[in-house]
Amino acid sequence: MIEILRTYGTLLLIGSYPEGPLGGLALTLILSVLGVGLAFPLSIVLALCRISAYAVLRVPATAIVYLVRGVPLIMLVFWSYYLVPVLIGRTVSAMSTLVVTLVVYQAAYMAEIVRAGIEALPNGQTEAARSLGLGYARTLQAVILPQALFNMLPSLLSQFISTVKETSLGYVISVQELTFAANEVNSSLLIRPFEVYLILSLTYFAVCLLLTRAAHLLETAILRRRAGRSTTHAYATHDQVQPG
Amino acid sequence: MNVFSFLTPDHVAVLARGLSFTAAITIASWLLAMGLGMALAILNESGGRVARGVVAAFIAYQRNIPVVAHLLLWYFGVPALLPKPVQSWINVHNGELISVIAIGLCLAAYFCEDIRSGFRSIPATQHEAARALGLSFLQSMRWVVVPQALRIALPALVNHTVLLFKTTALAMAIGVAELTYVVRELENQTFRTFEAYSVATVVYLMISLALMGAGAMLARRYRIPAR
Amino acid sequence: MIKFNRVDKWYGDYHALVDISAEVARGEVVVVCGPSGSGKSTLIRTVNRLEEIHKGVIEVDGADIHARGTDLNRFRANIGFVFQSFNLFPHLSVLANITLAPAKVGGQSLPQARESAMALLARVGIADKASAYPQQLSGGQQQRVAIARALAQKPAVMLFDEPTSALDPEMVGEVLNVMKSLARDGMTMMCVTHEMGFARDVGHRVWFMDRGRILEQSTPDEFFTAARHPRAQAFLSDLREH
Repeated sequence: MIEILRTYGTLLLIGSYPEGPLGGLALTLILSVLGVGLAFPLSIVLALCRISAYAVLRVPATAIVYLVRGVPLIMLVFWSYYLVPVLIGRTVSAMSTLVVTLVVYQAAYMAEIVRAGIEALPNGQTEAARSLGLGYARTLQAVILPQALFNMLPSLLSQFISTVKETSLGYVISVQELTFAANEVNSSLLIRPFEVYLILSLTYFAVCLLLTRAAHLLETAILRRRAGRSTTHAYATHDQVQPG
Repeated sequence: MNVFSFLTPDHVAVLARGLSFTAAITIASWLLAMGLGMALAILNESGGRVARGVVAAFIAYQRNIPVVAHLLLWYFGVPALLPKPVQSWINVHNGELISVIAIGLCLAAYFCEDIRSGFRSIPATQHEAARALGLSFLQSMRWVVVPQALRIALPALVNHTVLLFKTTALAMAIGVAELTYVVRELENQTFRTFEAYSVATVVYLMISLALMGAGAMLARRYRIPAR
Repeated sequence: MIKFNRVDKWYGDYHALVDISAEVARGEVVVVCGPSGSGKSTLIRTVNRLEEIHKGVIEVDGADIHARGTDLNRFRANIGFVFQSFNLFPHLSVLANITLAPAKVGGQSLPQARESAMALLARVGIADKASAYPQQLSGGQQQRVAIARALAQKPAVMLFDEPTSALDPEMVGEVLNVMKSLARDGMTMMCVTHEMGFARDVGHRVWFMDRGRILEQSTPDEFFTAARHPRAQAFLSDLREH
């Protein structure tokens, strides 16, 4: 396995750069950052529409979320592959197709997370802000969203980890990310498929595990910060028999 | 863009066949995932440090690696390790069995965590009271702890069941002729992309909604009465 | 019936039970009392091995429950335990709570188990609540169901761990009445409780515990009028002040 890493390490890490486009793990990470980064503002808009009082916003937003979440991601990839060139009017690279798909997919999932975060805030927050004379948009921007998003950071980070895994679908449409690179290695070697795909699995494992740890640390830091503000703890102490 | 003209008897037969593969893989993987997930969750409750370590390692491995990578490792990698007669047996059954194994193992990790989360919500005194009556560890799990834990874990289990169903579409990457695969083939033959994809989308949506509806019904039926 | 022979238990460095030797005879009702943290609950929980011991022997009905190779489950079926917080199973009806163990462990058929369960419910005074769920009952009713559940397997011994401490005052009486009727019927009982009226009415002996030791064992009369140990006297005067 070590020789495979030594010979094909760069291919797996950065694709055929600099002779060709950037690929491998580097591309996987770039696609993930792009996907989540672009999905984030879209998810906020979608979440706000979901809880809007106006049906003209609420109904389509709800429909989009259910649609995107009810269909396999790979089906969405094929839809994008077909629809995006039609909508834009010119051909689109496979990579752009994947990014668009990831953005739409993650926006729908993150919209639910943001919605939950907003709805978890006590009504008193909105009431206080409006009583001070802050308008709807101001209230959102200065009071509601900062708190909701801060609380939802760990969930959003775990969506990023999901996106890293979802980039592997690029393999099906020939985007040269990590899984595609591993496949290329296997096509060259042919006789060591187990090692090649084990390396692939362990690479994802290492990256995602690291990110998961980071998410845990973030969650602990957030809990500590929140606990510092309030004096109550949400531990259930029912059913504790006092040792006599 | 006429969907109905697309649904000729021939096409419907092809789609039905693809859907039957999707259904078969979904059911088989679900059984594997639920069985293994439950077993691991109970092992985690009963075992010492070693058992808990094994369960944690399994969950970490399955959850941090994309299903596509699992599929490729099982489909291309594992058979190469096995003796030749076993390899030819696997080739006959192609990707379906592999998909069931790969998807079943991966989702077992999700189900295990959901059930463990359910266990954590049940006070330890419930198990203690059952043991005090003379019920064995497994009897206490079976009759007192698991029934309560499953009710609590139900929403998460339903969500992950829908996820499992959608994940079967990835089996197309290793050539399994499930619904997405046959839809792509039809699309290649007829060039009627919009109709083909729409039919697949509607089918997936309907089944996802049906699964969620079934989950809601189960939750109502098995609800623990409140005060 | 229950024999403690030089029993010791530690929680880490803390010596929770110190050289306990005592006996509960068949048909006897022993009340264990003492200040908080004295080890009363720990002691009673060692009898059906909800707590382990480190030294000494505990015998119930002649057999050592802490020995290796004991059929723990069969043993526990012969010992009834009533918890402070009832611990009824919320997903089962009152009747099912009572029939669960006899059917699964005691080998009774379900109709048999149901019949006995209804009789027990009648005995504790809530036969009409058989198909209700625990959460729908008051605290006193729940504890009575818990007692019926413990009695369902016809145990030789009944253990009560502060059975009325989690109840509102007006419900304490109904539970104590059930316990008193059990005592009068000759059940061997070991009760950790603060209810001194109960001790006086049906108790044969009172054990006073403090800091892991049994400091005094006497009849209720002796204990309440002429306690010998200074800490027992202090405890009693504290009780009287309330």
